[in-house]
Amino acid sequence: MNATTAVDRDLSDMMSAVFARYREQHPPEKVATWDDGLWSALTDLGLTRLTGSEATGGSGAGWTEAAELLRAAATHGVRVPLAEHDLLACRLLDDAGLPVDEERRTVCVLDRTGTARGVPWAEEADRVVTVWRADGNYLVADVATAELRITGGVNTAGEPRDTVTADLAQLTGIAVPDTAIEQLWLRGALARGLQVCAALDRILELSVTHASERVQFGRPLAKFQAVQTLVADIAAQASLARAATEAALAAAIRTDWRGPELDFLVAVARSCAGHAASVVVRNAHQVHGAMGTTLEHRLHEFTGAALAWRSEFGSVGFWDDKLTTAALAAGRDGLWPLITA
Amino acid sequence: MTIPRLVPAVTENPHATDGLRAEVRAFLAEHRAKGALDAAIDTWLTGWDEDFTRALAARGWLGMTVPTEYGGHGRSFVERFAVTEELLAAGAPVAAHWTADRQIVPSLLKYGSEIQKRKFLPAIARGECFFAIGMSEPDSGSDLASVATKAVRVEGGWSITGAKVWTSGAHRADAFICLARTAPVDPAHRHDGLSQFLVDLRAPGVDIRPIISMSRAHHFNEVVLDEVFVADDMVFGTIGNGWQQVTSELGFERSGPERFLSTFALLAETAEHMGSGAVTRHTDLGRLTARVAALHQMSSAVAGALEREEPAADTAAAVVKVLGTTTEGDIADFADLLTDADSPAPYRALTDDAVRQRPGFTLRGGTNEVLRGVIARGLGMR
Repeated sequence: MNATTAVDRDLSDMMSAVFARYREQHPPEKVATWDDGLWSALTDLGLTRLTGSEATGGSGAGWTEAAELLRAAATHGVRVPLAEHDLLACRLLDDAGLPVDEERRTVCVLDRTGTARGVPWAEEADRVVTVWRADGNYLVADVATAELRITGGVNTAGEPRDTVTADLAQLTGIAVPDTAIEQLWLRGALARGLQVCAALDRILELSVTHASERVQFGRPLAKFQAVQTLVADIAAQASLARAATEAALAAAIRTDWRGPELDFLVAVARSCAGHAASVVVRNAHQVHGAMGTTLEHRLHEFTGAALAWRSEFGSVGFWDDKLTTAALAAGRDGLWPLITA
Repeated sequence: MTIPRLVPAVTENPHATDGLRAEVRAFLAEHRAKGALDAAIDTWLTGWDEDFTRALAARGWLGMTVPTEYGGHGRSFVERFAVTEELLAAGAPVAAHWTADRQIVPSLLKYGSEIQKRKFLPAIARGECFFAIGMSEPDSGSDLASVATKAVRVEGGWSITGAKVWTSGAHRADAFICLARTAPVDPAHRHDGLSQFLVDLRAPGVDIRPIISMSRAHHFNEVVLDEVFVADDMVFGTIGNGWQQVTSELGFERSGPERFLSTFALLAETAEHMGSGAVTRHTDLGRLTARVAALHQMSSAVAGALEREEPAADTAAAVVKVLGTTTEGDIADFADLLTDADSPAPYRALTDDAVRQRPGFTLRGGTNEVLRGVIARGLGMR
């Protein structure tokens, strides 16, 4: 069995059902809110701290299950900070040896001025696991939201992306090794990659359905070769993004996030998923015609999300640039060994 | 609706073949040091080197998946895949044995008679028997159901008349596998009435005429067959089953590493020259490196599916070929956009080769346009 498909069928059906039902009853708001009802339902099912250790109230599951959870939420267009809370914030508290409890968390890395931009869901969190650099070390503190200055913002998927400011002189934290923060970044990047892939797969599904049902010029759109070409390219690009992202996920699981090849594999995944989104979004809107551009149609929930997510935890250009640097360091004789690492 | 996944899941641990890869890399380094290996473009079409092929055979890297009783090495398709990737990434000359090893071996294992297996498999594994493919025809292109070459029943066998084109290496190969009509076309069932034959390219009635490429090189041929006799024991598979057999061969023809590595030597060379400052830094180097890495992962996954004989492998193979051949061409174009007369001469020459070979990448084995149709069928749109 493959690491990324080996999730227990009942568990994955359960995840899917929860999000499908929720989305049916809750049309998306302009800016998503951290829904208490949904969050406590997910908590009761053991899904909000899926990968946390059982000793601290988590479910003790792994990244295989976490990936399936992110996929299920993204597939149904439910906007909820599962990755931020469990995979990033609480995991970092564990890494720093700080206690974890039931409060809702997100994570941010402050710059030298004490500011972090694009912080997911900060305004609505109870606490923000805050990282900053001082005296050559990364420090981590579990800060109550009330102690931070937060200005609300939003990404194109309608998810809160806030600006957080802290007074660095007032903060005290626990030192963590640099690798903990490098891994935090990679975990965030891979989580977004998984979310992009789920959105791309859903867009493919919507496109095939629309092309099969919509009749124009006396036959379904799906029967036009030009439309088949558009959809085939969506499928090909989504498949490539998925292959690259699954390879990175499998390596992360295999090496418990410690493998030296992870940096490269996550960059590959993010580059491929990012460029795939360009083709998939463009073609899907073309296939759907004008009705796909409306608020009423669900297509934008996934095209908007794919574009928003591909620009978080590193832009597509950032990952391409990182890969370029790696390729230049590898040179003629090292490039193939780098690819097969 | 839920779409079934078109491409199988990636292998959980890609490092199982690391030891084998290291052996091949050491072998290649040795040849490079002797000056017997220059990285080149599209070497599975253009790099015909029988000495190199025999050196590979001596290491046990031909006929790897052939059972030992037929002179092979009884290794897995995934191991063969690793060796092939290493050879192509190095731009090694593999054209001589390419068709035999890639396509004829799995076909013989699946459809060949005992006589045919004993005749061809040991010779292929020794690097002494080279094959070509006789699928396309002057008027058929990607539309294989339109083949018009006819095989007529005669005493003790069949008599074949017709013409095949784009037959790579036919002027040097020993035999080819020929798709012919054994029953008239039925417009309602265009795929029926086709059969395959193993044809000796030195047999009376076989006329091999060169087709010169725009690079002035001779790789392709037209093979004209005028009442060529093929004995019953060289009928390949089952009469009338040709379409099914050809389709199963195409999975191997479309998904392999040759569909994304034809210009890899140029990408590696570009990294080298960009590193030294001879060409300007451009982040497409990273983007293309990522694509090749993802195609390596995807193509490996399809290799696993072919080994397990999974039915969906046809669509997956089409996905690999469309994406892979596009990427090969993008690499050629990328280097071409970065270079001019002032660029290092050998690098510019490699780029020119890639640009000249590029149009072929997205054609052979089914055009990308036809393959998009295959993908659309996999999605239930046709």
